Amino acid sequence: MAFREVFWNISYGYLVYVLALIALAIWLFSFYRRYQLWRQGRPDERFREIGERIGVFIQTVIVDIFVHRKFLRQPFSGIMHLTIFWGFIILLLASAVDAISYYSGYHLQGAPYLWFSLISDLGGFLILAGILMAAFRRYLWKPKSLNSVLDDGILLASMTAIIITGYMIEGLRQAATEIRPHPDWAIWSPGGWVFAKLFIDLSEGALRSWHKFLWWFHSVLTIGIILYSGLAFSKLQHVIVSPLNIFFRSLGPLAAPSPIDIEKAEIMGVGEIKDFTWKQLLDLDACTNCGRCEDVCPAWATNKPLSPRKLVQDLKGHMLKLSSNSVHSPEIRPSLIGEGPTEAEIWACTTCAACQEACPVYVEHILKIIDLRRHLVLAQNKMPESAQLMLRNMQMRGHPWAGAQSLRLRGDWTTNLDLKILAEGDHINTLLWVGCTGALVDRNVEVTVSLTRVLKAAGVDFAVLGEGETCCGDPARRAGYEFQFQLMAEQNIEIFKSHHIQEIITSCPHCYNIIKNEYPKYGGQFKVIHYSQLLWDLLKQEKLNLLNEIHSTLTYHDPCYLGRYNGLYSESREILKMIPKVTLKEMKRSKERSFCCGGGGGHMWIEEQPGTQKISQKRIEEVMKIEVDTVVTSCPYCLQMFEESIENKDSLKAKDLVEMVELSLKKSS
Amino acid sequence: MHTIVCVKQVPDPEIPPAKFKIDPVAKKVIPPPGVPPVISVYDERAVEAACRLKDKHKGKITVISLGTEKATDVVRHAISMGADDGYVLQDEAFENLDSFGTAYVLGKAIQKIGGYDLILCGRQAADWGAGQVGSILGEILGLPVITLACDIQAEDKKLKVKRILKDGFEVIEAPMPALVTVSSEIGLPRLPAGMALMLARRKQIPIWKAKDIGADLSELDRSKAHTEITEIFIPTREMKCEMISGATPAEMAANLVSKLATMI
Repeated sequence: MAFREVFWNISYGYLVYVLALIALAIWLFSFYRRYQLWRQGRPDERFREIGERIGVFIQTVIVDIFVHRKFLRQPFSGIMHLTIFWGFIILLLASAVDAISYYSGYHLQGAPYLWFSLISDLGGFLILAGILMAAFRRYLWKPKSLNSVLDDGILLASMTAIIITGYMIEGLRQAATEIRPHPDWAIWSPGGWVFAKLFIDLSEGALRSWHKFLWWFHSVLTIGIILYSGLAFSKLQHVIVSPLNIFFRSLGPLAAPSPIDIEKAEIMGVGEIKDFTWKQLLDLDACTNCGRCEDVCPAWATNKPLSPRKLVQDLKGHMLKLSSNSVHSPEIRPSLIGEGPTEAEIWACTTCAACQEACPVYVEHILKIIDLRRHLVLAQNKMPESAQLMLRNMQMRGHPWAGAQSLRLRGDWTTNLDLKILAEGDHINTLLWVGCTGALVDRNVEVTVSLTRVLKAAGVDFAVLGEGETCCGDPARRAGYEFQFQLMAEQNIEIFKSHHIQEIITSCPHCYNIIKNEYPKYGGQFKVIHYSQLLWDLLKQEKLNLLNEIHSTLTYHDPCYLGRYNGLYSESREILKMIPKVTLKEMKRSKERSFCCGGGGGHMWIEEQPGTQKISQKRIEEVMKIEVDTVVTSCPYCLQMFEESIENKDSLKAKDLVEMVELSLKKSS
Repeated sequence: MHTIVCVKQVPDPEIPPAKFKIDPVAKKVIPPPGVPPVISVYDERAVEAACRLKDKHKGKITVISLGTEKATDVVRHAISMGADDGYVLQDEAFENLDSFGTAYVLGKAIQKIGGYDLILCGRQAADWGAGQVGSILGEILGLPVITLACDIQAEDKKLKVKRILKDGFEVIEAPMPALVTVSSEIGLPRLPAGMALMLARRKQIPIWKAKDIGADLSELDRSKAHTEITEIFIPTREMKCEMISGATPAEMAANLVSKLATMI
């Protein structure tokens, strides 16, 4: 019966446990000190609904850790991490099995033992393969978003040493006890077998003393790495901190800012590291600097100063600097904004959430940026002039548009459309919420008017607020001007309630997101639907029929606030596919990996960093690559941005989804 | 330091001219419905100037506005920017006043408030743009007047004001109290933030009638005789386009230059 003796040739083997315990104690202590860093943050509601949290955690562990869903979007580094991860899981389990069998007296024997040997060795192979890929990527390939520090090298070298010495120990034992009497057993441990063949001519004494030496070297190195990772808070800590961070991930709507209690608020946004919540600080340590966020960030892709990776790392650097003893006095304490992220970085974000979608450990970048903006706007009155103009317009005129761009008045678009316009005291079930851009900007008014015609054709009973509609508050909230948002939210909720409105159809995904996901905290619970959802329902019920052929090869651009923020990807595509003769092509980056148009987070009005490429231009380049004649979207910002960036309107047109639907509707005559 | 700022509520200057209507009989401008009136842009800069002085020297800012009851909105706006108190001057007798009448009413209210070091006005109102009230008010109150300020510094009872000129600026000193009218070059007004917004929302804005400030009605009637509006109309704008001809770009440029020379 095949088997092997655990602790063969080793006396005082239990010392390993003693050393491990000491290392563990030191590790726990250093972890505790880190915990104290997080604890300086403000409270965060991440302990509520613990049952749901555990459920989501298990689900996320399976999908994003075991199966590596997010990692594998980058195939090379995804496979690299996958092999190392599973390799270590195998080795950990194997070590556990060894320990259990040794102390329980129940030994694996025969075929199960041989299979066990093979699988354990395979674990090592997986790790070595992953390390090779990692070293190649880090030191030869050098992708731009990957920043190498000493810690990376230490971990790769020590992991290699641990695996190789593991095989050597196995080989030395096999050379001494197995390879001659049971060569058919030895082959089941291929990693060791290689070394057994190599060492076969050594004397038993030499084999034993080399084995003893390497065994202790291997064990002490392994324990040493745990110790090192604790003391230096190495990247290796992510094996603990990342799952912890995933456990405490936000369960609510994506990147919904927390309300500021105006009556009691002592701090406005984040001006110091301790103004962050403890979860936001935990985020900083959960980040492994992998660069996936940077790779997908539209600001970074167009040479703006913001990289979400750098932002998180800079905040972390600042937190650590403050925790070191040298800078305790407040006078010489460096300020968070400037020493950490700069104002230019903070204002470059479009809140598109590509970074959060890419992050395998669920770091929440956007709310940090909004909190920093809150501090700049509310406490310091510092913001780009274009942001200030937008916010002033919202305050004085109830919408962010102004100047020459808005030669219309709020209610002008309703002229001659024979719509129900709500007057005081009118009650209606369904409201069509048009949004500022849809009411004030010529190109978008065309879309709004088209939408009302389609809804009427389908027999939908709805009303509009006309000149009584104001902004939903989204641009103010994303720009950090929280109180303006709060005023608008409260005012709008009051209006909805006064008209007994139950259901709100929105045209703009930004209005959709904020009314659906963020108004409830202010007492506004309404059924909110985006018109793409409604159109899809109407088509399914055959209240609308798409019969006219449109000979067009087109692509659909996912608006961030519809897709990533609310998971609506299929409705618009299904609608487009129903139009006869339409060919739908997908861009390389689509659905949850869609690339922003550049208009979110207030950037419809906040000027893009001068001298950099426009984000919308970059997106249009991606559209042009797949050779389509039309780019369809369902967001007024995206449409505006594309109209601005398409140079040759004969070869590429930007259309709204509802315009395509109206074109394809059967004419009544 | 106590600063009193006079602010006016005007139809939103962003309204496209074509949206206005004219009542030719009453000789009145009718702004389109549904567009909320706003604080006159220059007056808002005057509030900003007062806030900057308060940031530096502490003290108090009082805001007054002559207008309808809705003018409480612009007073609130000034309070949310950093003013401490505000009053609206509203009375039937105050309607249709010209610059003289307006200055008289404002002067009465300022005398009632009293204890001021500095009076600030916008350089002109964003609707009528007469630019008279500040200077007349200074005359009524017997104060030194400096117009078109782009920077105001206060040093013990003395003002140092940078004043915009056509081709630069001059710096003028004056003893306090004084009256200064503020030009837009002073810079963007601040965004009201945080608590101030909420406080301003809750603040009671008293409305003063003619009798509250001791305004003499016969004086008001008399001042109305100073000006008369003879006609009011929306100007039509004409654009003419002339293509400059020439065989070569150099010739075209030369023709353009000679054309321009005749137009100057």
